Amino acid sequence: MSTKAIESLSEDTVRRIADERDEPEWLLETRLDALSALETADLPDVIQTPGRLWTDLESLDFESLVDPLNQSDATERGGGDDDVVVLPFTEAFDEYGDVIEANFGSVLDPEHNYLTALSVALFTTGTFVYVPEGVDVEDVTVRAEMNSRSLFSQTLVVAEESSSVTILEAIESGDDEAAVEGDRYFSNLVEIVAGENSNVQFGSLQNLDTDTYTYSLKRAVTDTYATVDWIESNFGSKLTRSDVETELNGDGSESQIVGTFFGTDDQHFDINARVWHQAEQTTADLVTRGVLDDVARSVYEGVQDVGEDAWNTSSYQRENTLMLSDDAEADASPKLIIHNHDTEASHSATVGQVDAEDLFYLESRSIDSRTARNMLVEGFFVPVLEEIAVDEFRDDVQELVLRRLQ
Amino acid sequence: MATLEINNLHARVAEEGGERILRGVDLTVNSGEIHALMGPNGSGKSTTAKVIAGHPAYEVTEGEILLHLDDEDVADVDVDLDDEDYHWELLELEPNERAALGIFLGFQYPAEIEGVTMTNFLRQALNAKADEREELFEDEDEDEESAEADADDEGYDTSPMEGPADDGEIGVAEFQEILSEKMELLDMDEKFMQRYLNAGFSGGEKKQNEVLQAAMLEPAVAVLDEIDSGLDIDRLQDVSKGINALRDEQGTGILQITHYQRILDYVEPDHVHVMLDGEVAKSGGAELAEQLEDEGYDWVREEAFADA
Repeated sequence: MSTKAIESLSEDTVRRIADERDEPEWLLETRLDALSALETADLPDVIQTPGRLWTDLESLDFESLVDPLNQSDATERGGGDDDVVVLPFTEAFDEYGDVIEANFGSVLDPEHNYLTALSVALFTTGTFVYVPEGVDVEDVTVRAEMNSRSLFSQTLVVAEESSSVTILEAIESGDDEAAVEGDRYFSNLVEIVAGENSNVQFGSLQNLDTDTYTYSLKRAVTDTYATVDWIESNFGSKLTRSDVETELNGDGSESQIVGTFFGTDDQHFDINARVWHQAEQTTADLVTRGVLDDVARSVYEGVQDVGEDAWNTSSYQRENTLMLSDDAEADASPKLIIHNHDTEASHSATVGQVDAEDLFYLESRSIDSRTARNMLVEGFFVPVLEEIAVDEFRDDVQELVLRRLQ
Repeated sequence: MATLEINNLHARVAEEGGERILRGVDLTVNSGEIHALMGPNGSGKSTTAKVIAGHPAYEVTEGEILLHLDDEDVADVDVDLDDEDYHWELLELEPNERAALGIFLGFQYPAEIEGVTMTNFLRQALNAKADEREELFEDEDEDEESAEADADDEGYDTSPMEGPADDGEIGVAEFQEILSEKMELLDMDEKFMQRYLNAGFSGGEKKQNEVLQAAMLEPAVAVLDEIDSGLDIDRLQDVSKGINALRDEQGTGILQITHYQRILDYVEPDHVHVMLDGEVAKSGGAELAEQLEDEGYDWVREEAFADA
């Protein structure tokens, strides 16, 4: 398969981006390698059911969506201090160049697929978060606004031994929409290197406008006894392809992947959560809850892969999609692949409508049907909201749910 | 005084070729009275309860359900009843409107609702009832102050997890006070209020919760569908105390559906009705329930056939 050659893209484009950002040579090489990988790289796999390709990435018109030299964003980064580094890469190279070089691309191969290669070749924004050994920080925030046709973002989190960090990353569309008419493209890659006994919670909130196509791949690798908890919330965009993945490589390490989405109108969500158990006594918990209204669609794939050496694994997965409209559509494939039978595992997925008996119960207590339905929808999200440790983030998610219910 | 009057009620399952279940139910319950509705499985007791409340699974094909109200019943709203027989036709109203007018259904199997706390649910219900009543009676009384309802936009602007904003209907302190009192009567722990509505409640806790909701909503008539099933003796006594208090303290009329004499020892009925094949086949006083307990339903059936 492949390729979607983008004629306006050349080595020169990539060199200009790297030059403007005054990047080290190794990163330029990485970008150029990614650029040339575009020639052979494939688009990400998507779920197909008989007669149906759920997410059509093939038809994305990258030629018009990708405008690499006019990328623009307004990003606020909070929580950095003497102990913890929260900086754009451009400001971090001088002091932390070695740490960045050692870890960049170590979790997520830039040439993983066509979209990751494109993203690495062209990224102009993003954040480097460095939590040194033993440091504990709770409120790292990265709030970004997208103000251009396309925006490529790259985030690297390095959490050293016995450190702990909670990160909230939010992306939305900037106000001056007049500047960019028509379809837009946002790409976001996140890598987390979770050192021994470290604890990382990474929350992501995507609320881009519905002219935007979003691609996001986030992956963590855990060392011994490390914990990585993801919260992936998708509310915006015309089409969202989101992959959140953890490689449990250290004995006794854990990962939770919590997902929420709420689609209205003709929004499309392709949500993926994957975990690889590759060491002993690892634990994973995948929980996704989504709501679809109008003619919105969602497709979910969850994968729990238990490797040969993953003795004494615990792995759980559940996904529930709630349909508020007869015209919404959803597909879900929870997958459990077991190569080591010393495993306790469960996986399930449901697609359903608001329960008529629940609705009648509330109505029989004087509550009108619209309010009753909204109470049930909010209640549906509560189990995932409860997993969010950061109040600010939970409030944001709740607010977005409420706004969609009005 | 309020009166629930059911005349010649026919209903069937609301689907193609749905089974006919109610075949002419006649029943009248006044506020302050306790009625027991008994009868074998499948005779239409639960269906009667659900149809009164407006359950969408049933379609009424004939008959009427009226709720008569007097000045006392509408003291909270600004409306004058000059009509000799002021009543509402419940079949024309949505379930939430019927509830707001004073119909309460105690469910045999209450729904378990995750993510909505008891506190939030009860406050939401109380405020919804007050708002809905204002709207119903303003619509009714079109000549007076009809503009007020339009200005009062019924938006859903607060989180049910947080509870509705104080819009002056029921204040937090007042709510807590009423609630504590009712819960004490039912011997319920205050911890209930932070739990999600019926989620993980035991069978007995769910039934206590139904009676608690009736106590909070102060209905004109409460239809309690097998509120006694699955209760141990302690819970049965708590629930019975709660039901008696509904009648004694708020003047609620009770229509209690049950299979067993047991609860009737604690909640003594003024009237007992026996349903057979979708109709009320026989009515009597408390002694009728005892007779049914001893002799079963066959003799009622024979009597009914003999009359027919």
